[in-house]
Amino acid sequence: MELARLTREGDESAFAEIVRRYSPRVFRTASRFFRRREQVEEAAQEVFLKAFTELGSYEGRGSMEGWLTRITTNTCLNLLRSARRRPELMASDLTEDETKWLDHKLAGRATENHHSAERRLVAADLADRVMSDLADDDRMVLTMIDGEDSSVKEVAEVTGWSESKVKVRAHRARKRMREAVEKLLARRKGS
Amino acid sequence: MKEEHIISILESSPFNSLGQSEMAAIDAHVAHCEGCRRALEAAQISALLIRERAVAEIEPPPFFQTRVMAALRERRASAESPLSSLRRLWKATGALVSGMAATVMALAVLTFVAPSTETVSQDAASAFNAYTAEDVILASDRLPEDGLSYDQVLNTIYETDEDAEK
Repeated sequence: MELARLTREGDESAFAEIVRRYSPRVFRTASRFFRRREQVEEAAQEVFLKAFTELGSYEGRGSMEGWLTRITTNTCLNLLRSARRRPELMASDLTEDETKWLDHKLAGRATENHHSAERRLVAADLADRVMSDLADDDRMVLTMIDGEDSSVKEVAEVTGWSESKVKVRAHRARKRMREAVEKLLARRKGS
Repeated sequence: MKEEHIISILESSPFNSLGQSEMAAIDAHVAHCEGCRRALEAAQISALLIRERAVAEIEPPPFFQTRVMAALRERRASAESPLSSLRRLWKATGALVSGMAATVMALAVLTFVAPSTETVSQDAASAFNAYTAEDVILASDRLPEDGLSYDQVLNTIYETDEDAEK
């Protein structure tokens, strides 16, 4: 609150401190929407520029972290909406590593923990590609609830939606994600 | 439960949050339902992918703060540019405008004040000068003050030149 007040009074170093302090949180939130580093950085920068201009509307009722998370969510969704949607992922589009990862999981070790950083990266890339077929809102809800164990209430606070809307979105996103993976696996087995 | 399809269970809540009783019911059902077995397989893979996607966070780079502050200054500068460019234009043309104003003032002085001054000075000069151009032409028969006629003056000049030639 103090940093916000100082920034409003023209203290540039106070805003620099806000950027330093809350960058990790903004990056973590932006990472839900974007996979590539440059996209996350671009989104995070846009978030802080927007936050600077909207600081007058921040009244200090909630935490600044929460306020910035809401700005990040809205900014990322807007950036995604303005971007062109990618075509559906085909089994033939899978990289060799992604195919190996899927085969490994299909061999009955789906719940096995995998510690290899490289494998995790492959899985994250594949996840991003599969999830890119989902609507932006659905992807965000799915990442927060199923990926980060956020509660329905937390998602509702960040997005400004009602809890029932969050539940409906999560259900729909889960269904679409499962169908997309099922289709991919069927193609994989058929090829 | 064994005869009910389990897809609705898979979609109602995160896969990782399903309890033991729910998993037991699912396992019992997929043993004889090929469609639900494929759905379960896909749900398991989906849950893993979503989890991996969520943990794949990107950390801020070391100079991110500097980059944001530079972008902020740049944006503020561009937002202020119409006004600041007007100010720069005004400063640049200030000297020119001042010079033009001074020139206009000088012309005004020359136009309205200088002619009357000149008339007065011409009259005054005429008053002091006994021989104007008109006097010289129209009264050419009048003798100069030294008492010599023009013929005498001419003779004096030519004689001097002839003597010099001789």
